[in-house]
Amino acid sequence: MFALCDCNNFYASAERLFRPELNGLPIVVLSNNDGCVIARSEEAKACGIKMGDPEFLVRDLIKKFNIQVFSSNYVLYGDMSERVMHSLSRWFPRLDVYSIDEAFGWLGGVSDLAAYVPEIRRSVVRNSGIPVSIGVAPSKTLAKLANKLAKKNNGVMVLDNDEKITAAVQDFPVHDLWGVGRQYYKKFEELKIETVGQLRELPEMWFKQHMTIMGQRMWNELWGRPAIPIDGLRESTKGVTVSRSFRNYIEQPDILAEAVTLYASRLAEKLRAQGLRCLYLQVFLYTNQNREDHPQHFPAHTHKLLIASNNTSDLVKIAVTVSGKLFKYGMKYRKAGIIATGLVPESELQLNIFSPHDGGKKDRVSEVLDKLNLAYGRGTLRMATEGYEKKWRLKHEFLSKGYTTRWSDIIKVK
Amino acid sequence: MIRSFEKRAEQKISGFQSPAADYLEGRLDIAEKLVVDPHATFYFKMEGEAMRSFGIDDGDILVVDRSLQALHGAMVIAFISGSFSCRMYVQIGGEMALRNDAGDVLERDIAEVSIWGVVTAICRGMLPAGLKQGRYRDVCAL
Repeated sequence: MFALCDCNNFYASAERLFRPELNGLPIVVLSNNDGCVIARSEEAKACGIKMGDPEFLVRDLIKKFNIQVFSSNYVLYGDMSERVMHSLSRWFPRLDVYSIDEAFGWLGGVSDLAAYVPEIRRSVVRNSGIPVSIGVAPSKTLAKLANKLAKKNNGVMVLDNDEKITAAVQDFPVHDLWGVGRQYYKKFEELKIETVGQLRELPEMWFKQHMTIMGQRMWNELWGRPAIPIDGLRESTKGVTVSRSFRNYIEQPDILAEAVTLYASRLAEKLRAQGLRCLYLQVFLYTNQNREDHPQHFPAHTHKLLIASNNTSDLVKIAVTVSGKLFKYGMKYRKAGIIATGLVPESELQLNIFSPHDGGKKDRVSEVLDKLNLAYGRGTLRMATEGYEKKWRLKHEFLSKGYTTRWSDIIKVK
Repeated sequence: MIRSFEKRAEQKISGFQSPAADYLEGRLDIAEKLVVDPHATFYFKMEGEAMRSFGIDDGDILVVDRSLQALHGAMVIAFISGSFSCRMYVQIGGEMALRNDAGDVLERDIAEVSIWGVVTAICRGMLPAGLKQGRYRDVCAL
């Protein structure tokens, strides 16, 4: 049996754990740079706030319903997610963390699921303080469906026999089904298929013909025959990206170089953490396409490295040079990003006989950099081109504290 | 806070292999005695004298475990009418109450109350002002 465990309104719940006075009040969490709504409490959903709404468009609603607004505090969410996943992993012999707030667990040989699953839920909620819902079924697709039903059923839904599965899929809307994108949904609409119960009755051949191998898997999964194994969906890393919006528009090349230095340093750190080097480095810049009165410029360039690298000084140098060439005066840049592709494992370094290689030395410098930053906090040792003022740094006006990660931020009691 | 780079057992040796190499147990770490379950542990800081007679001083760091169920005599973090407080959880007659130096308040007399976690230990620095310098300024201090 598979279980899908999902944190309810995760970001909002994490904020509330440390501000219990906000229980029952509407909460929204904004994306990086305080742009759009990316998480809502149930109360905020009821106020009519939609996922992805830009903050400036819902300002009136926020005022009217006294909605509490938070900038995204990924340091806090990351730590709380780790706590939830660890609590879960004690109950499942295999756990596949699917996203920051969801995990598939594999349950074998449990005879009394109706008693076991609520116990998992109680324990995780108590230990982590984050409310979770758990759906259990014979396949991942059905577990995901059960999880949606669990939200309206005290957080637990166990579909452990054919009658329960049939009853659950009967009225389940097909657009809420896992793996149904817009493209497939259109097809279902043409056939007047609205519920998963109807969909499942189509012959296997139909799935094969119209939805290829994915469809065949879906058909099997819907009939309770697991076709997607645990861990089976993880895509291999094709590229590592760091891209962020700026607080204000960047119109000067030296300021851009500061931001790009930080992004490239972060990218190099990410590569090293995964034991990878990259052969290509793409740098891109965006202006604000929503502003018709601004001149627009979306340049990008991919640089090929002679030797695959992941050390900070190489990558920063390339990224700064490329971004300098892409930059055009008179443009208001809103966002920059760097993508590393052509990833090779660190162990497979291929040298080029025509080029001098001093990567060994730079790699050692990067190693020391990582160690120092791990010990003393990220950014302790950094490239000087990052600058000191950092006016381009992200906006997060409504950021909560690092309650679980910074000694200075722990809660005071009387 | 400085975390150590390498565990002792992994250190490289230039001369002779230590005869103790096979017997390394890892040095004692006080965290083992303070934190039972790191994934359910949170930290709070005491402010004020309200729990003086229970042995909790101003500035103490409280180690709080959410996985425990509070019972009579447990020191708890409670959320009382809009703010976090440290109290002793006590049973009086058949009812639960929260106790501090000011006295007892029955749970049912508080408009809004929830028990957030159980205090498992406190950390307190013992250095006099004259020694609280340099690296030692941070001993059990925020």
